[in-house]
Amino acid sequence: MNENGNTRMLGVAAAAGLAGVVATGLVAGWERFWINWIVWFLFVLMVGLGCLFIVALEHVVGATWSVPLRRVPERLSGLALLMAPAALLALLSLPVLYPWTKPESLKDPVIAGKAVWLNMPFFSARVVACVGLWILAYRIFVSGSIRQDRDKDPRFNVRARRFAPVFMIIFGITITVVAFDWISSLEPLWYSDVLGIYIFAGTFLAGLAATMLAVLYLMKRGRLPGVKPDHIYNLGGFLFAFIVFWSYIGFAQYMLMWYANLPEEVFWYKARLQGPWGPLILLLAVLHFLVPFFVLIPRSAKSRPKRLFWVAVLMLVAHWLDLYWMIFPVLRQGLLFSWPELSFGVFFISAGLLWIRRAMTGGADMPVGDPFLREGLEFRL
Amino acid sequence: MSNQAFSVLGLFDNAQSLLDAIPSVKSKVSARLDAYTPYPVHGMEDALGLRKSPVGGMVFVMGLIGAIAAIAFELWTEGVDYPLVTAGKPVLSWEAFIPIMFEVTVLFACFTSGLGMLFLLNRLPLFRHPMLRSKSMPLITKDKFALAVEADGQPLDVDAITALLRKAGAQAIEVVEQPAPPDPISPSLLLKVAAVIGISCLVAGYVTYWGVKLFPLSIPVVHMLDQPRVDPQRESSFFKNGTAMRMPVAGTVARGHLPFTVPSQEEAAALANPLPRTDDVLKKGRQAFATYCSVCHGILGNGVPTLTSVYGAKPANLASQQIRDYQDGKIYYVIMMGKNAMPSYAADLSEDERWSVVHYVRVLQRALNAKDEDVRKETLK
Repeated sequence: MNENGNTRMLGVAAAAGLAGVVATGLVAGWERFWINWIVWFLFVLMVGLGCLFIVALEHVVGATWSVPLRRVPERLSGLALLMAPAALLALLSLPVLYPWTKPESLKDPVIAGKAVWLNMPFFSARVVACVGLWILAYRIFVSGSIRQDRDKDPRFNVRARRFAPVFMIIFGITITVVAFDWISSLEPLWYSDVLGIYIFAGTFLAGLAATMLAVLYLMKRGRLPGVKPDHIYNLGGFLFAFIVFWSYIGFAQYMLMWYANLPEEVFWYKARLQGPWGPLILLLAVLHFLVPFFVLIPRSAKSRPKRLFWVAVLMLVAHWLDLYWMIFPVLRQGLLFSWPELSFGVFFISAGLLWIRRAMTGGADMPVGDPFLREGLEFRL
Repeated sequence: MSNQAFSVLGLFDNAQSLLDAIPSVKSKVSARLDAYTPYPVHGMEDALGLRKSPVGGMVFVMGLIGAIAAIAFELWTEGVDYPLVTAGKPVLSWEAFIPIMFEVTVLFACFTSGLGMLFLLNRLPLFRHPMLRSKSMPLITKDKFALAVEADGQPLDVDAITALLRKAGAQAIEVVEQPAPPDPISPSLLLKVAAVIGISCLVAGYVTYWGVKLFPLSIPVVHMLDQPRVDPQRESSFFKNGTAMRMPVAGTVARGHLPFTVPSQEEAAALANPLPRTDDVLKKGRQAFATYCSVCHGILGNGVPTLTSVYGAKPANLASQQIRDYQDGKIYYVIMMGKNAMPSYAADLSEDERWSVVHYVRVLQRALNAKDEDVRKETLK
């Protein structure tokens, strides 16, 4: 099938998904609609932010091995921009899903104490501020890099390396805000300091998995000439490391709450361990940790395209499962998985792919104007 | 030149000419090849055909053994050997085992990779390695690249190899001699080592002994004696009123000790025995009766005890008509509050035990006033 045919197919899928999305709101109710919206918009947003983080990481440490691959996460990070209107639209979900928006919730002294942070105007302001900061970072890192393709101006690297440490702080704060606002405040009585880091680990992993898929896709079509298994090995090593990191943080959060056994903390886990959610968290542990961990242990596995392709797909599926497990129990309705969830998935994924397809036309497939490109291509393990 | 050559070195000017020379030498020589370079050269391990390092496999196996050993040890100590409830958690709390398992896994894996590589695979320390006496070593650590053909058990044909290396492009040749075997360890050396160790132990022992003896209360030593504590029959500084523990809140009731509020034996008649008349309850009642009641009331409850002559009062015959007419509650009341010379047994028997004793007293009464139909038909024959 030619490229235009693929685009048309994605367009049809997106339209069909959109029909399902609208039908969800009308038939299955707005609670179901918004909870799916939150899960899927966070899923795509986290992939985009993870890619933006990968780009910034290269600049902050001055890595050269990743320069030939950098255009891939740069283009994928556009997904964060695509999700900016989705985030603004998701503000409409606050009165439906978020208990702290209801006036009677303020009778609870804990929620009343958090009202300084959890109120509609400040929440909306935070969303706008976060989106604005991401757009700023996108313009500096990505737009600047694409401009460098033409003018070959090395001052871009200086600017990016100066901004990167600042972005690390911005990223740390905004990803924590995303975790606390969109996920934690669904259950406003609950709190977990480490949730921001947990979400960061998931974000970075999702970004790495998407980058890996896109790199393998482009390599197969010969569009990344000079990229060797050594580069892929580094990406695979990152993937391996952060699979362990995610598991470490996830277990640390669980174990501390389990040990302390405080009612205001454990109820969150209780709702997510009982009934059908218990087997689901076991499945998550297997898919998000055990399988990819053991698959990626051998040295050779980290540069084998076929194996890495399946691990990357698995990590994206597991990442969605992770969000699903955190967010859906809020409804206290058991496992909901039917046509609404599927049509939301079809809609968001095909819309994301269409967006990336459009981004593929911006600039070359490699940052050809970057003075470190040659050094990056000569990278060997 | 001795005929026992350890290796023949060919010196090259740069890494590439060394790499180029390897295939031609390798195809003509069966001896082992090795390379000495001032820095790691990419592709060297493939060119030399070195076997894949077994460190990865060793680490994996040892890590697995560490994990299994830790989890098995924890399961055995906590679950089988000495089950201990900690912090109100179930005895086999796998959550608490994970961090220890993780640490032991890492410990085993690290020791294996570090020590295994240094001692098992590289056989360090090699103070007498022949290459250390090579005249080319200062050059190799500077800017020369050496290819070594090493004697692997069989003597080397030095002249042929020299010609081969020259042909392959070596700028200079050096034959490294096999050093004389090391001197055996002499008894006098052993004696000296033993003397040094022994004297060190004696000195350390004396210093520790006198140090502790002369300066026992120096500041870093905190003695357990010097801490806030409660002495029997002494005032404590813990609380203002001189007590060591807080008084319980007014109206506090200990678990399993509800206050007994029935004012008189007559009113106790209304109490019903909450326990069913099962074998277990009767066994419990028999044991409590034998321990506490039989001393006075006799093992049959007929008021003929073992202590009659010494003890002035006459204990009640529990099988008498008066007590057989008592309701369960009245007997219970007597156990609780005592009667005539009999003291209260409320402090000695738990509520369940008291009611079990009541059941058992009924058994004794029936046994001492048995009717024909109480005897089993089979025994009558």
